Amino acid sequence: MKLINKHIEKDGSGHVTVCPEDDEDMWHLYNLIQEGDRVRAPAIRRIQNVSTTGTVDSRRIRLHLTLAVARVTWSPSAAPGADSGAANGAAGAAPAASATVEVSGRVAEENQHVKLGAFHTLDIEANKNVRIEKDAGGWDSVALARVEESCVPGRGAEVAAIVCGEGTAIFCLLSEHMTVVLQRLEVPVPRKISNQSSAHEKGLARFYQNLYTSFLRHVPYSSPSLRAIVIASPGWVRDAVFDFIMAEASRTSNKALLTARNKFIKVHVNSPHVHSLVEALKSPEIASQMKETKFAREGLMLDKFFKMLASDEMRAWYGPDHVALAADRGAIGTLLISDELFRSSDAATRKKFVGIVEDVKQKGGEVLIFSSMHESGQQLNQLTGIAAILTFPLDVEVVEAEEREAREEEERRKAEEGEAVEAS
Amino acid sequence: MAGLNLNDDAPMDVIPEEPVKPPAAIEKLIEEAKATLIAQENGEKRSLSMVVVGHVDAGKSTMMGRLLYELGRMDEKKRVANERGSAKVGKSSFSWAWELDGTQEERERGITMDIALQTLNTPHRVITILDAPGHRDFIPNMISGASQADSALLVVDAAVGEFEAGFERGGQTREHLLLVRSLGVTQVIVAVNKLDQVEWSKSRYDEICNLLKPFLAQSGFHPTKTQFVPVAAMEGINLSQPPPAASPLHSWYKGPTLVDLLDALEPPTRDINAPLRFPISNVFKGATSGIAVSGRVCGGIIVPGERLRIVPGDESAVVKAIDSDGDSLPWAGAGSNVNVTLTGVDPISLNVGSVLCREGQTVPLVSSFTAKIIVFDIQIPITAGTSVELFHHSRDVPASISRLISVLDRSNGSVIKNKPRVLTKNMSAEVEVSLRSSTYSGPASRALPIPLEPFSVNKEMGRILIRRGGETIGAGVVLELLT
Ligand SMILES: Nc1nc2c(ncn2[C@@H]2O[C@H](COP(=O)(O)OP(=O)(O)OP(=O)(O)O)[C@@H](O)[C@H]2O)c(=O)[nH]1
Ligand SMILES: [Mg+2]
Repeated sequence: MKLINKHIEKDGSGHVTVCPEDDEDMWHLYNLIQEGDRVRAPAIRRIQNVSTTGTVDSRRIRLHLTLAVARVTWSPSAAPGADSGAANGAAGAAPAASATVEVSGRVAEENQHVKLGAFHTLDIEANKNVRIEKDAGGWDSVALARVEESCVPGRGAEVAAIVCGEGTAIFCLLSEHMTVVLQRLEVPVPRKISNQSSAHEKGLARFYQNLYTSFLRHVPYSSPSLRAIVIASPGWVRDAVFDFIMAEASRTSNKALLTARNKFIKVHVNSPHVHSLVEALKSPEIASQMKETKFAREGLMLDKFFKMLASDEMRAWYGPDHVALAADRGAIGTLLISDELFRSSDAATRKKFVGIVEDVKQKGGEVLIFSSMHESGQQLNQLTGIAAILTFPLDVEVVEAEEREAREEEERRKAEEGEAVEAS
Repeated sequence: MAGLNLNDDAPMDVIPEEPVKPPAAIEKLIEEAKATLIAQENGEKRSLSMVVVGHVDAGKSTMMGRLLYELGRMDEKKRVANERGSAKVGKSSFSWAWELDGTQEERERGITMDIALQTLNTPHRVITILDAPGHRDFIPNMISGASQADSALLVVDAAVGEFEAGFERGGQTREHLLLVRSLGVTQVIVAVNKLDQVEWSKSRYDEICNLLKPFLAQSGFHPTKTQFVPVAAMEGINLSQPPPAASPLHSWYKGPTLVDLLDALEPPTRDINAPLRFPISNVFKGATSGIAVSGRVCGGIIVPGERLRIVPGDESAVVKAIDSDGDSLPWAGAGSNVNVTLTGVDPISLNVGSVLCREGQTVPLVSSFTAKIIVFDIQIPITAGTSVELFHHSRDVPASISRLISVLDRSNGSVIKNKPRVLTKNMSAEVEVSLRSSTYSGPASRALPIPLEPFSVNKEMGRILIRRGGETIGAGVVLELLT
């Protein structure tokens, strides 16, 4: 994303103008724009003119609108071929599908065509400037960090991953902040039938052929920004898949694909489902090559949390209330928090989580904001979206009991004071 | 499948829809089937199914191949062909296993990758055997086999170090036993194999039995339903014949042979009056016409001529024929492992994991439910939101433990703690399980609801297994269907 202009006051109010370029930028915008902000962006609006003779003339015009945001919605890119089987797997080229961010609200700046307060919904367009204005406190540290991160020039590494089993393959493309599922391929492969195995083998042959077709269509193997092509599977499917791809590349003299040979990494995972991505990405083969990428860090961090849960339960806490308690006690060494928590429409809720982040950082702790567009972020979301590794063990139940006592103590004190006031 | 009228070469594309029998005729057939089944329960020859499990390379397939030969299910010609074929690729030690390891890749690797189904005839039993893979990557297939069995044969390798490798944490001897028990199998025969490798040592045999006994008891197998037998599959010692006088085993073992034990297995009680449930474990092209599915009848009776619903979906299909290992059957009752040839249906609507039901008695579809589970010997505790794979019959789907409801007392089931923060090893608990759909960019994986029933309604449809990272972390029964 390009940063066009930025003006932030000391109180955290102000405006930022950016120009989104791709799906990932759309994701950033979705995370930056909050209810209550004012967004100025290009829009299309139907205008009606009543002429002097009384005829009504309706046309669509392009204009710039400033909306007081009431709602922001995100639709991920809908890549084609969601469940293509043998029959439709080979048909058609992929249309450029992209993610969209929709902003709706009332028009906040009068315009020659549109009245103040009129309702409008606009789709944020790629390569067009968007201006986001927030009130005091709106540009908090988390929002500013995201602006900064999203406007670093040059795209981060991309990785293609194919998670497969016998007859199934899920094609994914991972960038810094998001995982795009390009295709889910399913080719029916009859299971082995005692000692007559030809149906199984024929099914497999068809599967490899289909997989290769999808591969050519979806995986940008010759793109310089594509760092690696991961093939992950249980059993030995990944070997067969890799061998098939390479054999076809030689047979058809596909030079570009043959030169991409060293981009391929084969990884063992335990299941052919898409959630194995996390397992694949934290495997030593990949983690060593890509440890600086966001998805690898997220995967490793989540793993670290679960390992801590196994070795010392009192140092692995999760859930908003528990983590807030741990933060209060300055116990958090590492905070894992999902970007989803900052999208709350309630400003106070967002403020609370921003507070925890700032607090942990200030005390020297590490904070990793997970992207919900990655499998690791989705898994964190399931785990309430927030978790922490503590620097020293704390017993949740003891802490809760102490808090309860402190609260009761406080209430008792207040009550007594109240009585004292009444008595006087 | 072998035996599906292979010599009938009617062209594939002419599939006349099977005439549907009138309901009265179907009812009559079902009544006949019931009467026959009840007569069989008291008859000479009773049938049951058995899954063969154990750590990789324990000798499961070799033992089954050898048994098929000794019991006359594999002829001499076939034996010689397997011997030649395996020798040719330098795998002669797998010559017996070849009968079950039928795919090219299995034979090349000398590893069973998927279930093989065969039938054994002992004097008093007809036993459907499901030879399972031992390799940990193929546990999903092993589970599919185990969920179709009423008894189990555990094969362990007696060789020094090998038994230990299978029995230690992470070994499949343990995991397989827990899995079959969780899937409702209560009787198990333990074949201590490869005794030739340990000089037929009685003390080694006793050592292994003594290590296994406490674990079996702990895992819920009653000692009276657990039998041990010393064997050597490769040489065929003590399988169907007692050890010959020249065998060192003869000097210290006078007990039953493996076949004697098989012949005494207790057949299951069959719920033939329950609504029909036929979970599909395989879909393939019928040999002559139509499309065939295989699986185990988990309730009720299936008869040819009836139009059955395929759940999930709105499709239905007509049962054209039923067969078991090549023998055509007039019907099949609960507990039978059979192939069903279907017509009048688009193969697209038949998937592994779908359930055939009678119209008006279809199995419910759910995407979240509560379950009572036992947590296995896990290292990483289960938190609310843990990502798992849910296994139900031959299907596995991504799911999450969406809520930890309570920790239960293992002995009496009473609630020890509500809303626990985590579940740790060996706990019993009530949890909520939800199927997972991913919502990140791209076509969302539709979390399609799956056919499932509470354990109280249909035991076989109400058992689940939960795995994570290639390890089974829990097993349980469905309590209540939510959404
Ligand atoms: N010495 C000896 N070797 C045996 C015996 N039984 C099996 N084997 C060998 O053990 C190896 C594995 O045999 P399989 O029958 O493939 O074992 P499996 O348990 O079916 O293996 P998976 O299905 O892959 O888990 C083969 O090389 C057999 O020849 C035995 O009684 N003695
Ligand atoms: Mg085998």
